[in-house]
Amino acid sequence: MRFTALHAVGLVSLLSGILSFLVISQATRELGRIGATDYIGTLIVVAIIRELGPLLTALVVVGRSGTAIAAELATNQVMGEVRALESMGIDPKQYLVLPRFLSSLVSVFALLVLFDLVAVMAGFAAARFNGLPGPRYFQIVLQSLSNRDVWLTVFKALAFGTIVGVVPSYFGLAVRRASTEIPIAASRAVVAALVGIFLCSALFVALG
Amino acid sequence: MTIPHSPVPLLFDSIPIARDASHPFSLEVPEHRTIAVLGDEDSGLEQLGGYALGLERPESGRALVFGTLVASLPEPERLAFRRRVGYLPAGDGLLQNLSLRDNVALPLRFGSAGTLRDIEGRVNVMLTAVRLTAAAALRPAQANDEERRRAALARAVAFDPALLILEQPFDGLTARVASELLELARGGESAEGARRTIFITGQEIPPLILRRLDQVYRLTRAGMLEPETV
Repeated sequence: MRFTALHAVGLVSLLSGILSFLVISQATRELGRIGATDYIGTLIVVAIIRELGPLLTALVVVGRSGTAIAAELATNQVMGEVRALESMGIDPKQYLVLPRFLSSLVSVFALLVLFDLVAVMAGFAAARFNGLPGPRYFQIVLQSLSNRDVWLTVFKALAFGTIVGVVPSYFGLAVRRASTEIPIAASRAVVAALVGIFLCSALFVALG
Repeated sequence: MTIPHSPVPLLFDSIPIARDASHPFSLEVPEHRTIAVLGDEDSGLEQLGGYALGLERPESGRALVFGTLVASLPEPERLAFRRRVGYLPAGDGLLQNLSLRDNVALPLRFGSAGTLRDIEGRVNVMLTAVRLTAAAALRPAQANDEERRRAALARAVAFDPALLILEQPFDGLTARVASELLELARGGESAEGARRTIFITGQEIPPLILRRLDQVYRLTRAGMLEPETV
């Protein structure tokens, strides 16, 4: 949890801040020319909070923790620790997978909330920088934000957190006895998790 | 009045273990006996513990523990049944991210109904018995072979099992330490012999230890069990 969530705070904040600042700066400038600054709210809610936020947060967690989970569980397998757990009557899924799964769920959710908060604040800074008054910016953003967006974000966090926790665990435990399988398992786990996240994201759009 | 027949603690029945062996492996380990089977690295002996505990299934034949085919039990019963058997796998199988103390406590924390205080008390007793108190806070990677083996044995006997399966338990240990660990594994003496039934597999066992075992066999390349001469 500390590695998956706490240690990723800086990276998620940085990505969110830069992305939001760049998008809102450009949007304020371009939309301002045609008098359509109200669409900044739609842009930050739809593009950043609803779509890019969950996607980028999940990608960060997969890149950092997905590889770590797969490599760690594969090492457990190769070192005979999984077999030892089973021989002691301990279910490896309960001991090794469940905590990582729960940690991924909580971490993706917490990081996503952080991503959105930083994005909104960076958007505020960008809007101010480009001459849009602060109260007006918040008014536009709040007008565009609906309950549906909040719930969609929650569902996406749960779905992506599940993928991040389960897919690398599966590939890690699928390793048999050779240490050369560990990097292969880590690589396959990340690729499969990335594909899963993009497919899931597309599914949300299709259903939404 | 009939006396109920107590099933043999461990029975291997016609299990093919070595690739080029013409005879399947069969052996009965009676109660209160300490029996060792020695064989080459590729003899397939290292699979026997897994077969007995239902961690793997043999191609044919069967391994019975207290008359039960563990591999055929449903998952929850299988996990619970394994707590009746102490198992020291080759290479110790200690969890690298836990201290030696936590490794010993692990099966008790997951598999016993005792309170935290009871478990800690039991762990302290185990650590003292295997003389590991001073090194208990070390991680396996920081401990030496002897300390790791002591911790693995303490973990194997955490539930005070009636049957112990030990894989290469004495490799790399001095005869004195091996002898001490064997005594701990036996768990004291009863009128019938050792308090626990013990099955040992390995490539070699120190001569000093061989004399203290009830039976020692060597597995030939053809898969035959021949009594080992001490």
